[in-house]
Amino acid sequence: MGFLLHCPNCGERDAYEFRFGGESRKRPTFSATEKEWADYVYMKKNVAGSEREWWYHRLGCKRWLIAIRDTRDNSVSKTFWLGEE
Amino acid sequence: MEEEKSGTHDRSGRTRRETGEDGRVERRPGEEIDRSRPVAFDFEGKRFSGYEGDTLASALYASGLRIFTRSSKYHRARGLFCVSGRCANCMVNVNGRPNVRACVEPIREGTVVKHQNAWPSLDHDVYSSIERMGRFMPVGFYYKTFINFPWEWKRVRSSMRKLAGLGSLDDELADWKKSAESGDPRSPSPRMDDKAFDQEFMHADVAVVGGGPAGIFAALEAGRLGARVVLVDDQASLGGHLRYDDGEIRLEPSTGEGRYSGRRASQLANELSDAVSQREGLTVVSGATVFGLYESNLLGLVRGNRLIKLRAKQVVISTGAHERFSVFRNNDIPGVFPASGLQRLIRLYGVRPGRSVAILTDGDVGLDVARTLIGAGIGVSVYADSRTGVDLDEPQRVLGGTGAVILSGYAIIESLGKKKVEGATLVRIDENGRAIEGSERKFVCDTICLANSLEADTSLLYQAGCRTVYDVEVGDFIVSGHPASVHSCGGATGIHDLSTSLLQAKVAGLRAAVSLAEGRAGPEVKTARDDLETYSKDLRESESRYRERVRAWKLKLSAAVSGYGGGRGAIATKSFVCICEDVVEEEVLRAISEGFDDIETLKRYSTLSTGPCQGKICLLPSIGLCARETGKSIPQTGRTTSRPPYLPVTMGALAGSELHPTKLTAMHYKHLELGAAMMDLGEWKRPHAYGPVGEEYAAVRGAVGVIDLGTLGRLDVRGKDTPRLLDFVYTHIFSRLQPGKSRYGVICDDAGIILDDGTVTRLSEDHYFVTTSTGNVDFVEQWLEWWIAAQNLDAHVTNLTDGLAAVNVAGPRARDLLKKLTRIDISNEAFPYMNSAEGLVAGVPSILLRIGFVGETGWEIHFPAEYGEYFWDALMDAGKEFGVRPFGVEAQRVLRLDKKHIIVSQDTDALSDPFEADMPWIVKFEKDDFVGKAALAAIKRAGPRRILVGFVMDAGMAHDGDQVYSSDGGDKLIGAVTSARLSPSVGRCVGLALVSSGSTRDDGSLRIMTQGKLSEARVTLRPFYDPDGKRLRS
Repeated sequence: MGFLLHCPNCGERDAYEFRFGGESRKRPTFSATEKEWADYVYMKKNVAGSEREWWYHRLGCKRWLIAIRDTRDNSVSKTFWLGEE
Repeated sequence: MEEEKSGTHDRSGRTRRETGEDGRVERRPGEEIDRSRPVAFDFEGKRFSGYEGDTLASALYASGLRIFTRSSKYHRARGLFCVSGRCANCMVNVNGRPNVRACVEPIREGTVVKHQNAWPSLDHDVYSSIERMGRFMPVGFYYKTFINFPWEWKRVRSSMRKLAGLGSLDDELADWKKSAESGDPRSPSPRMDDKAFDQEFMHADVAVVGGGPAGIFAALEAGRLGARVVLVDDQASLGGHLRYDDGEIRLEPSTGEGRYSGRRASQLANELSDAVSQREGLTVVSGATVFGLYESNLLGLVRGNRLIKLRAKQVVISTGAHERFSVFRNNDIPGVFPASGLQRLIRLYGVRPGRSVAILTDGDVGLDVARTLIGAGIGVSVYADSRTGVDLDEPQRVLGGTGAVILSGYAIIESLGKKKVEGATLVRIDENGRAIEGSERKFVCDTICLANSLEADTSLLYQAGCRTVYDVEVGDFIVSGHPASVHSCGGATGIHDLSTSLLQAKVAGLRAAVSLAEGRAGPEVKTARDDLETYSKDLRESESRYRERVRAWKLKLSAAVSGYGGGRGAIATKSFVCICEDVVEEEVLRAISEGFDDIETLKRYSTLSTGPCQGKICLLPSIGLCARETGKSIPQTGRTTSRPPYLPVTMGALAGSELHPTKLTAMHYKHLELGAAMMDLGEWKRPHAYGPVGEEYAAVRGAVGVIDLGTLGRLDVRGKDTPRLLDFVYTHIFSRLQPGKSRYGVICDDAGIILDDGTVTRLSEDHYFVTTSTGNVDFVEQWLEWWIAAQNLDAHVTNLTDGLAAVNVAGPRARDLLKKLTRIDISNEAFPYMNSAEGLVAGVPSILLRIGFVGETGWEIHFPAEYGEYFWDALMDAGKEFGVRPFGVEAQRVLRLDKKHIIVSQDTDALSDPFEADMPWIVKFEKDDFVGKAALAAIKRAGPRRILVGFVMDAGMAHDGDQVYSSDGGDKLIGAVTSARLSPSVGRCVGLALVSSGSTRDDGSLRIMTQGKLSEARVTLRPFYDPDGKRLRS
């Protein structure tokens, strides 16, 4: 894992500074069915391709950001704060 | 000739016989050794010497050593070969460090060098008898044999491992590892120079890999617009092949460097090296190998025992080329060299390789070697160019009158000799590149020089994502499809002509410089862009001239890549394809006939190119053989994948320096003064106990005890959405908590599983003080930050853990003690259980929390860490009259177990939820939504599958982890003990067990398997000590 991630706050940094937070997905509401909740909690998509995911800038500003990363070659096309896409 | 000491060691008789008077040739310009400065070292227990500038290999060779290693499988004698750190033929153990390549290891005074993989000595290796068994060990021997007798594998594995492979770690290191594993932190680590590893980070605008002429020119151009350039080279000094080439430099005028024409190569190397050292902003990293090119242009370098991570915006790859290997019978014995290996020995180290050399060539390289040899006074027995009908005027000019036989249309099919070269058998080659039977000629010689055409070193380019395809016309791998920030030049591109290389280098360097200057204006940028255009045009022309020149003979050459001799020879005269893994032609042919005819499956089955050189020697021969046997062309056959590492990397370099990050609390040294036995908890050191645990326990129950809580996680959370955040993340409700109050809370994930627990204190409306369990604070901080981001909340988390010290002062006399130190009203009425206050204690600003983890009246006090030792002393002084005692983790574990207070991850596991932990009251479903609500609602509906229960043993002791059986007879396993201790208050063993729900009820019984015996225990759902909590509320 040697790629770079652009933190919207700190700039371009080594991926080692970050913690991977998994796929970014929409959390169901409380009224969702058990199956929807089970899917959210346990069923990861694990795509080979572009993925929207959470990253935490552990050794920097300690904020969570969203990155669009290609899981096949670790190229990151975009990073942003949630809601500021 | 000078009188030199190096050759006259105690084996001088043999030295003289084999290498002449002193093993060295006359001094010539360009030599890199300093003959006035001898350096002594130890090899196999004997004293050897060389000169400053020598490598271990050159010094040993000059001293007469010919067999450097034994091969990995057949234990055949192997000598120096590449002399550039690429192959595995000279690996030795240096100061206990295994697998050091002697040919690139500078000699240092007093170094202790030992051989590897032979017993008892390199000269007489008992294991070499394995070779005679070679016929019983065909390709795929392991797979074929042990698939039918898997149990045999277990039996022979250890002895096989001893026979095969390379060096091993020395005993001293193994001893140290053993003592380190036994947990003795005081065992001295073997930190000699050779075993200390470290890491370095470097950053560059442009990284240039390879310090040959192309790399140097690329680096100079790349820096033209002010970029920071790092030039990495794996040799001791810059210049690449110019350092040992023997010809005159001839450059096309279009290179713009025509002024260098007429210079000797080594002279040019020096001039270029000077130009590099004078250039500002250009850093040279010599003696470092780039072993991998990773994402975002991260280069992995290893330089001795140091790992360097070099991050560059642009990368220029000019890793050069090496002579292709030839497959012929007995081609692996000491005395067979590629041309560059021989030239390095003679030109750089002044070493006399032998007395009579056979030069086998297919191009101009042979002539250069011939010049070097004649210049050094070394005889040439035969000069053979494998091209038929080639003009021999130039070789005649160089070698005429020396007695050398000069031939064209001849190639080698066998080298003669067992442990060293004694002669060579050549054969005539027909128009199609096949040997003509009956045309063999034998020549006497002691050295064989393979002056073959060059093969590009494409490994890094392949790793970079470039396409490298064999071009039959050019006779090499041609690179294309570069990623935007990767450039290449020189021999690595498959084009072997100095003028073309220099143009490539200028284009590559300028491309990097211009890309970095994107968006910049100014005259120098414009000039650079114009130059780039001019050089690109000149390069295209130069390249097509090169193609024209080489087309005819390279086409023919490609037919002969696989060699000329048939592979099916006698066992003793094997034709090696891969010298690292001891794979011979016969085995490759058999593998192909068994169906492994794809180059990648052939590699895996035969282990071709999987050894230390990673295909640098055998890539092309193996492709050639595969092509020949399958009737495909070389481009159709393709190539195997190049992966990092380019060369083997010592594990120590990857592991880095030996660091054990440790956190010490603010009172750490007070604990040491008191003689506490310390224990590790995550990164922290904590006192396990100061003396008898029973006394510490008794102090807390009967008087007052103090425990260092500096390891607890502490978070300051503030902002207007903080109540919402905490309500959302914890299962309990904190928005309704009154300022000044504390509450216990549990964090679950959306699967309802407990992640952490701790207390939450509301200091004011929007300001909370949160504690987490030891070692888990980073996680909780990240978890809170995550939900702040995901729910878009206005809240801010600050981690105070390292800034705050903390103690818990607990026991019936705790109030008396604290009264002496603070003016805060700590009476039970003013400061009841689960309340908090801020104020001075012993003059130190503190946060006080009335919390009862150990089940007594007590205060958790948090204060700035810098007061740690002062505060500790103040407590001990004030408490003396009340019988205060410090207590450690072990006493606390017993004290809290009395109260059935859980420790997350001790009494819960990765599947525990609050219902299982018997805390249904902590889940507040009336809240709108919170993390885990849906899952916990489902669990509540279905009922928990397990439950955490307390138990009291009738007799005997249970231990953490003991198995629990149901009491209704039979052998039904229902769970395990999570914690068990002898409780002095109860007088018996008490504990917690996680068991299947429904299998037990209050006052029911369990059976615990402890030390091989089933013992009865009684279930207790209430705390064992002070079940109504009167004491902690008093």
